[in-house]
Amino acid sequence: MAAADLQSYFPAESSAAVVPPPRRPHPSTPESNFWRSFRKSQLSPSFILPVSSLDFSPTAPHDLAVAASTSIHLLDGSSISPKPYSPLSSGFSDLAHSPSFRSDGALLAAGDSTGLVHVLDPSHSRPPLRRLRAHTRAAHVVRFPKSPNDKLHLFSGGDDALLCYWDIPSETSVLSIAGAHKDYIRAGAASPVNTEIFATGSYDHTVKIWDVRVSPESNPVSSFNHGNPVESLLFLPSGGLLATAGGNVVKLWDVIGGGRLIHSMENHNKTVTSLCLGKFGDGSDGEQSRILSVSIDGYLKVFDYAAFKVTHSMRFPAQLLSVGFSPSGSAWVVGASNGTLYFGKKRTEKKEIVGSVASEFDGFVAEPQKRALRPSYYRYFHRGQSEKPGEGDLIVKKAAKLKLAEHDKLLKKFRHRESLVSALRRGNPNSIVAVMEELVARKKLLKCVENLDVDELGLLLGFLHKHATTPRYARFLMGLAKKVLEMRAEDVRSSAILRGHVRNLKRMVVEEIQVQRSLQEIQGMISPLLVIAGR
Amino acid sequence: MITGGQSFVSSPPAFSNDGKKLLVCTGATVSVFSTSTGLQVTELEGHTDRVTSVVVVPVTGPASKFMSFCWTSSLDGNVCYWDFAASELVKKVNVQLPIWSMVIPNMPNAIVQSNEKSSSLYAFLSVEDTSKSADQQKALVGQIQIFNLRNARRVGGLLAETRKPECITMSNSGEFLGIRNKRKLHIWRVPSKDFKYDEIKKIKLHHTKNLSALAFHPTERIVAGGDVTGRILIWRGFGRKMFSESLHPHSREKFRNEEERPGVRGNDDSDSCSTWHWHPSEVKFLVFSSDGAYLYSGGREGVLVVWQLDTGKKKFKPRLGSPLLYFSASSDPSLSCISCADNQIHLVKMPSVDILKSISGIKPPFAVPDVCEGLNGGVVFDHSSGSVVLRTENYCIQFFSLLDNLEASQVQVCERNHQPVDDVMVVVQLIALSRDGSIMATVEVKLPEEGIGGLVNLKFWAQGSKTGEYSLSTVIYEPHSESGISALAFRPDNCMAVTSSFGGDFKIWVNSSDVQRKDQILQKSGWRCRSVGAYKKRPMTAAAFSSDGSVLAVAAETVVTLWDPETNVLVAVIGDSFTPIVALSFVGDLEYLISVSRGSRPQLVVWNLLKLSMHWSYMLSVEAVAASGGDGSKFAVLACPTREANAREQDGIILLFEVDDPVPMSTWSVKKARGGNLAFLSSNLFPQNPNVTERRSSPLLVYVNGDHEFEVFDPHGNQSQIGRVHRKNPAVAEEPSKVRFGYESIYGELPEFDLKKDQIPEIPFAPSDRPWETIFSGPSHVLPPLTKLCSTFLESILERNTTLKD
Repeated sequence: MAAADLQSYFPAESSAAVVPPPRRPHPSTPESNFWRSFRKSQLSPSFILPVSSLDFSPTAPHDLAVAASTSIHLLDGSSISPKPYSPLSSGFSDLAHSPSFRSDGALLAAGDSTGLVHVLDPSHSRPPLRRLRAHTRAAHVVRFPKSPNDKLHLFSGGDDALLCYWDIPSETSVLSIAGAHKDYIRAGAASPVNTEIFATGSYDHTVKIWDVRVSPESNPVSSFNHGNPVESLLFLPSGGLLATAGGNVVKLWDVIGGGRLIHSMENHNKTVTSLCLGKFGDGSDGEQSRILSVSIDGYLKVFDYAAFKVTHSMRFPAQLLSVGFSPSGSAWVVGASNGTLYFGKKRTEKKEIVGSVASEFDGFVAEPQKRALRPSYYRYFHRGQSEKPGEGDLIVKKAAKLKLAEHDKLLKKFRHRESLVSALRRGNPNSIVAVMEELVARKKLLKCVENLDVDELGLLLGFLHKHATTPRYARFLMGLAKKVLEMRAEDVRSSAILRGHVRNLKRMVVEEIQVQRSLQEIQGMISPLLVIAGR
Repeated sequence: MITGGQSFVSSPPAFSNDGKKLLVCTGATVSVFSTSTGLQVTELEGHTDRVTSVVVVPVTGPASKFMSFCWTSSLDGNVCYWDFAASELVKKVNVQLPIWSMVIPNMPNAIVQSNEKSSSLYAFLSVEDTSKSADQQKALVGQIQIFNLRNARRVGGLLAETRKPECITMSNSGEFLGIRNKRKLHIWRVPSKDFKYDEIKKIKLHHTKNLSALAFHPTERIVAGGDVTGRILIWRGFGRKMFSESLHPHSREKFRNEEERPGVRGNDDSDSCSTWHWHPSEVKFLVFSSDGAYLYSGGREGVLVVWQLDTGKKKFKPRLGSPLLYFSASSDPSLSCISCADNQIHLVKMPSVDILKSISGIKPPFAVPDVCEGLNGGVVFDHSSGSVVLRTENYCIQFFSLLDNLEASQVQVCERNHQPVDDVMVVVQLIALSRDGSIMATVEVKLPEEGIGGLVNLKFWAQGSKTGEYSLSTVIYEPHSESGISALAFRPDNCMAVTSSFGGDFKIWVNSSDVQRKDQILQKSGWRCRSVGAYKKRPMTAAAFSSDGSVLAVAAETVVTLWDPETNVLVAVIGDSFTPIVALSFVGDLEYLISVSRGSRPQLVVWNLLKLSMHWSYMLSVEAVAASGGDGSKFAVLACPTREANAREQDGIILLFEVDDPVPMSTWSVKKARGGNLAFLSSNLFPQNPNVTERRSSPLLVYVNGDHEFEVFDPHGNQSQIGRVHRKNPAVAEEPSKVRFGYESIYGELPEFDLKKDQIPEIPFAPSDRPWETIFSGPSHVLPPLTKLCSTFLESILERNTTLKD
C-alpha cells in the first residue's frame, strides 16, 4: 500500500506472440557423450597433399597406413604419431592410393596413379616385396580379403575399369576382368565372412559383387545401381549388408536378398567420400557397430544402422576425404583434402589399484586425503563460488541487473547536455531521437541546444543532415533543424566546419524538395487510375 | 443521497490520545480513521460548513483508552465538543464569526475538568471579521480573539488584526502562541496558571520575506519560521527580555550587545537567529520532533526534510509524489502523518520515515494547459462497478468507488516519474471506458517544447482480474498524425472504438483478436484502425455511438454527420449550429440526439433522427450531458449560467428533461459546476433500504463537481431509498489490550511520578507485543543504558520461548 509501490507499477499485458524457445544445447545422450570422450586433435606437421585414403592394421597395436602424395605414411596406432621409418616412399613414382593391411597385419598393399600395385612390408622401410603390374591407369582400389584364412590373394581395381584378383607370391593375376565396369572403379570392399567374395563400386553408378570361385561368365554375382558415382563401399560385419556412398547419399543394401535397398540416408550436404565401421561402447557392456561417414561438407556423421538414424556428428573446417576407426576402439582418424589429418583419441583412465588392495585386507578403507584450504592458497579465495545448489536448497534469484546506456545514466543525473552529446557520439538514430524526446518531455531540449559548443553543434548538425528526412523522425527533426539554425546562427557563421554542415543541410533540403515534387507527380498520375479502378 | 469525495487535506488532521485514531477534517464533517487499517471508522456530523481545526482533549494515564473528546471549529462560526468514540455531539458554542483556526492552551485534564465545573476554558480563535467589506483591499479581516468556552463569552480585546485570518500555532506546553503576519512573527506568552487577559505579553520577530510556517520547540525557547523562498529561520532564546519573570527586572536589564546576537534583526527580542536553506520554494510546514532533537520541514517539492537541530545536518524522505501540506505527530513518538496535496494522508513510522499506510481520497483537479482540457474535466464513470474515473497529476488514472467513498485502484498510464515542481509536459487528455468496464482507452498528450516534439498516444487497456485493474494491450503513436484528438468513444458491444481529431478525420478502431487467420501462428490481439472517415476536411469535434451501435454520430464543427460504422458510409448530415459542437449524446433508442455547443453562442439542441430535424433547443451553456441508459428517454444536463470568467467555483444548475418536452422535469442548483460531470448509474450498484419493498430500477444520478466532490441521488426524489452502509471494520472491535510503548514496554507500569521532575520526553518506542524488535529503535540519546537494555532484551526473548512452549 506504500506509495512507492504504486508508483513503480506499470501494468502491461504480456505479449501474446509465441516466443521461440531459447536455444539449448542438445541433451547429452550416452552416444554423444561417448563420441565426445575422444580428445580431438590434429597431426602436425600436416601432409601437403590430400589424404586420399587410410587403413588401420587389424592386429595390435593397430598401426595406421595413410596414403598422401607419393608415399604411404605409417603411424603408430596407440599414439597416432609417425613411425621412425615412415614414410614408405620408395618405389612410388606417382600418387599412392588405397593402402590395405593383410588380415594379420604383416603385409601392406597400395596402388599408385601409374597403375602399379605395391606389396610392402609395414615393419621396415625397404623396397617393395612385390609389384603387381596389370593396370594401365591409376589403381584406386587395392584390398586384401578380410578373412585370416587367405593370406595369398588381393584384388585391385583401377581407372581403366579393369578388375584383377592376384596371387601375391607369384605376382600373377588369377582372375582379370577387363571392363568390369563402364567407368572408373573407385570403391571396393572384401566380404568379412568369405575370402572369395568382394564388391566394387564405380563412377558408372553401379555396385557389383564378385565371386572368384565361379567362372568369369557368371560374374558379377550381383549388381545394383546406387544412383550416383560410388565413392566408397563398406561391408557390415554380418557380411549380408553393404553400405555404399555416392553423391550425398549413403545407402544400405541387403546383399543376400539380391541387392534390395534397405535404407537411404541423406544427412550430408555434399558428396560422401568415405565410409568406415566404428564401434560404440566400451568393452564391458557390449559394443554396437556404427557407420562413420565423412563428406566434402566437412562433417563426420555417426550412423546407427540398427535404428536408422544419425546419432552424432562432428564438424571439421576442411573437406574430408577419408575416415578410419581403430579396431581397438580407441581412436578415429579423418583425412582432409588440405592434407590435415584429424584424429580423436580415447582418454585412457589410469586406474590406481595400488595401495587399496592392502587396505582392504586391513578392513580399513583410507579416505582420500583432502588438503585443507588455507588463506595462503589461491583457491581459498575462490572457495564455494562455483557451488551448485543442492536438491532441497531454496534458490533466491538475483534480480537481473538493468543495463543502462551512458546517455540514460546521464539523464538520470539530470545532465541533459552531456546525455545528448553522448547519444550523438554513439550515433544510433533511434536512441538519439529517444533522448531528444525525453528532453522535450523535460522541457530542456532547446536549453541543451543553446549550450552545445561548436564541436557538439557540428555533431548535431551532422546528425540532422543524415536523418532529418527519415520519414520516422522527419516531423520532429525538421522542426528541430529549423530551431537550431535560428538559435545558433552566429556560431554557424563564425565556424567554417559548421558552415560546411549547413551547406550539407541545404543540399539535403533541395534533394528532399525534388523527391517530394516527383512523388507528387507520381501521385497525380496514379490518382486518376485509382478513381477509374474504384468505379 | 450519498455524498463523498471531500478533501482530506483542507486542515491538519489530529491523532487521538492513544494514537489509534486519526481525526481528519473532511468538509463539514470530521472523519475518524483507524491508523492500523487506514479505513474510516466513524464520522462526526454537526457542522454546516468546512471544519477548520480539531483539538483533541489530552488525557493521560489509563483513562486515555476510553476518554476521547475533541473540540472542533468550523467556518459556520461554531465550536463543538465531541465524544468521538461514540461520535456524538456534547456541546456547541456559537462564536458568530467564521473560525479559521483554533487552539486551546492549558486545557485541564478531562477528569479534573469534570469535577470542577467552575474553571474556565479559554480558546484562542482566529476569526474572519465578516462585518468589514471584502471590497477594501487593505481591510484587516483576520482577528485573533480569546473565547471562554465554558460560558461562551469573549474575553478581552483583540490580540491582533491581520490582512486575512491566520493559522495559530501553539507550543507543546501551551505556554507560547504564535501567528505569522506577513514578514513578522507574533508570539504571545500565555500564563499557565490563573489566566488573566492582562498578563498576556507579546513580542514580534522580523524577517525580510513573507513567512509561511511556524513551529515552537517542545522544551526550549526556540522558534522556527519558514518563508516563501524556502528559508528556515531558527530564533533561539526568544523573548528573554519580554517574557522574563518580573521578579528580577533589573538583573535582566543589561542585555548582551547587538554584536552578541548574531542574525537577529533590529531590536528583536532573541538571542540568535540562524538560517537554513534547502527548499527551493515555500516551506509549507515546520514541526519539531517530540524530543526536540529534529525539525521536520516540507514544501511543494514533495520531500520531507529532517534537520538535526544542533548541527543543521539534514536527511531526506523523497518521492512522496505530491506537495506536502501538513505534518501531525501523535503521542506515540514513532507514529506521525503527512498530508499531501493530492488528497492523501500518509501514516509514517517516524525515525525511519517509512510509510505504513496511506489514506487516499479522491484526487483533486489539477491545472492542465488549455490544449488538453478534455470535456467534463477528465471525469468519466465506470458503469459496471459504480466508480468515478479521473486522471491524476502523476500520469495515473484513479478509480474511486462512489459507494465506499474509497479509492478502488490506480492505473499508471504513462511510464514517467512525476515531480511536483516540474512543468506539466505530459497530460492524460481523454479517458473512455466501455459500458461493461472491460476495456479502457486513454489518450495522453506530450506537449511540444516551443512547437517541436509533441506527441499524442492512444492506449487501449484490457481489464485484469479485478475491477479497476487494467493492463496495457495496445499503444498507438500519433493516431491522427500530429493533430490532437477531440473525442474517444466505445461502441456498446466493446469491439469497436472511435477517435475523432481536430485534423479533420475520425478513425474506427477494432480489436483485431476477432480476426482469426489460419496460417498465422502468432495470434497477437490488439487494436488496429479499420476505417477512416472525413467530412469536407472539417475538424471533427465530438463523436458518439448509438446505444445499439448501428449509428455513429460525429460532429464536424457545426454539423452532425451520421455514419454506418460497419461499412463506413455517410448516412446523413444534420443541423447547423452557430458554434462548434463539443459533445454529442444519444438518448433512448436511436431516436434522439443531443448536441452541445459552447462559445459565444452556446446551444443545447435535441435532434429527432427519424425526421432528421431539430426537435427543440435552448441557448444554454452546458457543462455536461448524461443520458439515462437503455430505453429511458430522460437526460440530465449540467448547465452554467455563464461560461466566461476563470472562476472555477461557479454555481450551476442540473436540469432533468424528458426528450419530448422542453420543460424540465426537475431542477437542482449546485455549487462549483465548472469542470463537473453527470452520469446515470444503475441503482443496483447501491444498496437499497431494506424497508422499501418496492424495488425501483430507475437509475440514480451522480454529480461530480469541479472539486471532485460527488453526490449520488435519485432524480425522482425518493431520498430514503439509498444510503451508505458504513463498513464495520475490525479496527473498531479491537479488544482493549493494553498497549505499552516506550519505557513501559521494558519496565512495565510506572508508579505515578511527580510530573515536574519527569521532564525527560518519552522514549520513542513503537507499541508492540514483541519488545525485542523495538527496544533499540529510536535515537540513542533517549535509550536507557545498554547494560539495562541487554538484560531485558534477553529476558524478553526467553519469556517468549516459554510462552510458546505452553
